[in-house]
Amino acid sequence: MPAEPPTRALRIGIGGPVGTGKSSLIATLCRELAGEVELGVVTNDIYTDEDARFLRAEGVLPAARIEAVQTGCCPHTAIRDDISANLLAVEELERSQGPLAAVFVESGGDNLTAAFSPALADTQVFVLDCAGGDDVPRKGGPGVARADLLVINKIDLAPYVGASVEVMLSDARAQRGPRPVLAISLRDGRSVEHLTGWVLGQLERWRAGTLRAVDPGPPAPHAHHHEHATP
Amino acid sequence: MSAVLELLLADARTPSGGHAHSGGLEAALAAGLALTDVPAFIRARLRTVGLVEAAFAALAARAGTVDELLALDLELAARTPADPLRRAARALGAGLLRTAGAWWPEAQPLAGYRALSELTPRPIALGAIARTAALSPLAAARLSLYDDAATVASAAVKLAALDAAVASGWLVALAADIDDAALKARETGPRSTCTPLLDRRALAHASAERRLFAS
Repeated sequence: MPAEPPTRALRIGIGGPVGTGKSSLIATLCRELAGEVELGVVTNDIYTDEDARFLRAEGVLPAARIEAVQTGCCPHTAIRDDISANLLAVEELERSQGPLAAVFVESGGDNLTAAFSPALADTQVFVLDCAGGDDVPRKGGPGVARADLLVINKIDLAPYVGASVEVMLSDARAQRGPRPVLAISLRDGRSVEHLTGWVLGQLERWRAGTLRAVDPGPPAPHAHHHEHATP
Repeated sequence: MSAVLELLLADARTPSGGHAHSGGLEAALAAGLALTDVPAFIRARLRTVGLVEAAFAALAARAGTVDELLALDLELAARTPADPLRRAARALGAGLLRTAGAWWPEAQPLAGYRALSELTPRPIALGAIARTAALSPLAAARLSLYDDAATVASAAVKLAALDAAVASGWLVALAADIDDAALKARETGPRSTCTPLLDRRALAHASAERRLFAS
């Protein structure tokens, strides 16, 4: 049976700890892609509508395409356990600004256990950065291990903070197996091309009806496809 | 009916988006309300906006057609002068309807209301869901009041230095007030109240740069 073409926008979750560059990454994607793809953004701020205001000030999208959702101190709840407010915001953006091809949903900066519900995000990016410590990929968690894309951001800062991009990449690959990892700097054109290429690829699969939301799942019990060596 | 459905509708773990709302408490504390006055704040809500909304929840629980529910939408909107409060009620109602839509996708008039209402205020959505759950209008009114009180109490724990055991104790102390207000709401029909302070604070809150809660 041929896949049904989708009737709504692709919802791309952007998660990760505070300060890793989620808003800047979204601003970059909007700047690069807004000419060819109809985009919207829903931000989830914890204290303020800072992220929404940042994106509006960047001028990468019309202000009406950017919606802020308050999460009542529960950024994790709003993307996972009770996605009502985010879904409503996405639907309103689509209704007032649509038809949109894709909507980015930016989670409030959270810890390593945060992951989007597959009912909210059709595909999701987890964003880490070199300045946050090069041991973070090794610590793992559902976003690091199983988000559709792991971004290691700010690699241009690595030499200044004593971080090893190579260690981060190899730890990330060990956690993720074949799932993609991008080590990027938003100041670098090739990095940005890789990023936009990934988004356009997801959009192509979405439009073809072949994109299936994969749940990164709970943080604690890990599942491997290999046997652990017995001591 | 099953009493379990009433518990489910009262349970904050049932998704409705309620965790992002404070029932006006964040704005009230910002305007100088003392923590010791929060129980009085909750009681004042129960007697004013809480009672009005509960009366509409009871009416919605009696409504057998989509048209009746849509008419109640307009009646309640006319009694909710502050736009941010209408928007908050709409978001909360839409969240409840989405969840109930997953439970009972075909049930009428719930499904028709979900498809056609552009306002979906929480009390009307709650009443329509209560009816589908075969709960009484009294139960719908009590759920509406309890939700209002519990929203403020649980937000207080995040906004102020407070033990959650103390905040839930406020609800214990207010239980009889909630029961009484529910009985009154069941009998009263469409009614109005006037809460200019809540309305003005809601307007200020909606444009505040720093806020944790949507309302």
